[in-house]
Amino acid sequence: MLTEIQEGKALNPVVKHITQEKINLYAEASGDFNPIHVDESFAAKTPLGGTIAHGMLSLAYVSEMMASAFGQSWLSGGKLRAKFKEPARPGDTLTINGKVDCIERKDDVSYANCNFECRNQKGEMIVVGEAIVKVSSDKK
Amino acid sequence: MPDKTITYEGLTPGYKFPPAAYELSASFVSKYLKAVDSAGVGFVPPLAITACAIAAMTKSVPLPPGTIAIHASQELEFFKLVPIGATIECHIGVAQKIARGKMSMLILEIEVFDKDKEKVQSGRATIALPA
Repeated sequence: MLTEIQEGKALNPVVKHITQEKINLYAEASGDFNPIHVDESFAAKTPLGGTIAHGMLSLAYVSEMMASAFGQSWLSGGKLRAKFKEPARPGDTLTINGKVDCIERKDDVSYANCNFECRNQKGEMIVVGEAIVKVSSDKK
Repeated sequence: MPDKTITYEGLTPGYKFPPAAYELSASFVSKYLKAVDSAGVGFVPPLAITACAIAAMTKSVPLPPGTIAIHASQELEFFKLVPIGATIECHIGVAQKIARGKMSMLILEIEVFDKDKEKVQSGRATIALPA
């Protein structure tokens, strides 16, 4: 977890390698067997040219970074907004970075407003967004 | 699981999918954590819950063969920790359906409750589909 939460503080990055096996495992766990994710011959004939990872798989890595930085505050009170810009594909290595943009106080509660981005090994933006998490409360 | 399906054309703003209940068993959480290559934190990962909600919706809408549905954006808010073994109920409704050229954007509102009817998560998903 972050020991000191300050504006501008970078969150520990998360790095993950995407494989078709992981995409298939995600399909099994989530129950989302859309052929664009799991059927290589179908996906090859589409404009995407091959299978892509589920957007929620990339977003799970963002949530892992936030949970690692903020612990239970994230799991029980986090908020995020994400845009999926490009698909992640088998063979990609994704790096998720985040930073505390600002700390806001509302009704005696402090919230860390963070931004995050997920890029592949070519630097292409896969996911981008913002997250908010409660970091302290003076409420009794 | 929902026992009814609906055509894509039938998805109009205000439509509510049949609620879907899921047991977040230890084996489900273990499978999910393996898929996302994560160690876990002793509770159900919030995005595992979202995955269940989205799966409930996709199983209810039989898209024509060959249709590619793209997840364009996602908003989420988490309200409470969910213990492993808990049962949740997912409620999804159509908030908006927007035609943009050859594409159609389906905006869905998601709410997830625990067995005490307390909200554990809410969100909004935007799915892009061919019009």
